[in-house]
Amino acid sequence: MKSNNFIERSIVGALTFLKDSIFAEEVAQGGGFLQSLDPRAKVIGLLLFILQALLTRNISVLFFLYALSLLLVLISKINLGFFLKRTWIFIPLFSLFIALPAIFGPGEPLLIWQILGVKFSVTHQGLDGAMIFVMRVITCVSFVVLLNLTTKHFALLKALRIFKIQQIFIMVLGMCYRYVYLFVGIIQNTYLAIKSRVGIGVQYQRGQNIVAWNIASLWDRSVGLNEEVYKAMLSRGYQGEALAWNDFKIRTRDCMWLFAVVMIIWII
Amino acid sequence: MVICSGDDYMDNIVFELNDVYFSYPGKFPALCGIDIRINQGQKISIIGANGSGKSTFLQMLDGLIFADRGRVSFCGQQLNEKIFSDAKFSQEFRRKVGFIFQNSDVQLFCPTVKEDIVFGPLQLGLAKNEIQKRLEKLITTLGILDLLDRSPNQLSIGEKRKVALASTLIIGPNILILDEPTAGLDPSTTRHIIDLLIDENIAGKTIITATHDLHIVEEISDIVYVFGADKKIVKFGQADNILNDTALLTANNLVHIHSHRHKDKEHLHPHVHLDHHADT
Repeated sequence: MKSNNFIERSIVGALTFLKDSIFAEEVAQGGGFLQSLDPRAKVIGLLLFILQALLTRNISVLFFLYALSLLLVLISKINLGFFLKRTWIFIPLFSLFIALPAIFGPGEPLLIWQILGVKFSVTHQGLDGAMIFVMRVITCVSFVVLLNLTTKHFALLKALRIFKIQQIFIMVLGMCYRYVYLFVGIIQNTYLAIKSRVGIGVQYQRGQNIVAWNIASLWDRSVGLNEEVYKAMLSRGYQGEALAWNDFKIRTRDCMWLFAVVMIIWII
Repeated sequence: MVICSGDDYMDNIVFELNDVYFSYPGKFPALCGIDIRINQGQKISIIGANGSGKSTFLQMLDGLIFADRGRVSFCGQQLNEKIFSDAKFSQEFRRKVGFIFQNSDVQLFCPTVKEDIVFGPLQLGLAKNEIQKRLEKLITTLGILDLLDRSPNQLSIGEKRKVALASTLIIGPNILILDEPTAGLDPSTTRHIIDLLIDENIAGKTIITATHDLHIVEEISDIVYVFGADKKIVKFGQADNILNDTALLTANNLVHIHSHRHKDKEHLHPHVHLDHHADT
């Protein structure tokens, strides 16, 4: 497979998206601890941990919170290797590069060296500041990824109602989530159809034309679908104000979780 | 089962169309001079080639589009944009008339099957315990219990069609309008859906179906209307009369000439896919 070919890349991209989302759904349906909680209690609890990570200046607290996130990974039956790969790649590594100059900041020197007569010194304060920054980022990212992995996307959207977000926004987001899959399927089939007719070796200019044509075609389909879906909504009684089914239930387990979260934050 | 009510309404007619015309903006006409009367409890089928206006006709019955010319009435009241701006009428109409779209991906717009099924009754103000009761009954009838928490994009065509049916049936409409309900389905799912429609009709519901599937027409029709390429009604009558009129079906692209060989001799005859209904 030629990795520089746009047809192959499009098919692989679409397949990867579907594979990832199916995998994420499987994890969210798993029988672990976080999966068993009411999404609202889970959102509140993990957000409190994130807030604590953002507000604290104590590196030990950040280490504790990060360790806690890893413990939650284990009791939620998520593969630790998969989780670490997902949380450490990109954002924390990026933040590590951002934090690097800070270690040379003003303060008590820890390490000094000279290059071509220019003196460099790593300071205690600079190193602490950089470590706090990186730990804060990785801890927050870990809790967000945990929330995302252990909650079905639509349940996560519904849980946003606790922040008094209008139902219409949640409904529109839910519909976007629903139809993204449909369009990814269409993209995948379209590129397979192109591949079956022209093979993988498409001249660059011709390839650009095909991609442009596909974007226009997809846009046209989405406009058509938009009208049809609106008719389907009208047909089932929609009158401009969406009402949603709420089957969330706060149980003893959820109350205990929230109590434990508050206690941990109070203690640290 | 009383669908139409009102002091001055004594008739049995639920839908009446008189000389109805419709065109989509910037396109060719979709319906030209349609006259139809549909009585309460009837089973009506609309057959015709692609582009003959079947779907447009059904959407007009469901008050989703409105006639450019002529009159479409429901229980004696003319259907137009103005009457649907009355929330009370609109809600009452949607409770009485259910529409199942040809493309289930259009009808299933919520993130999960359960949300899709309960969408209609929630908008129409049904009590939560009543919705729950109806939901439990429907998932047993249609065998879709395992699908409730799944996303519609994870379902097969047959499963999507069953969920689409459930999302309409849960409203408890007196009139069911179905656009190609068996298109693309396997024989077993087709049978399941047809049996369900027959049961609904026995229970007093009016069933209006547009279909290409001539296998199912006789079972789900008291009267069959044939729509032609000129967007008009070519003929209507009892199912067996229409289905045995091979010339009519051929002229309207509902059957094709089929050739095959028997012992070095080539035979040509119309292929109707109706062996159990008619000798062809």
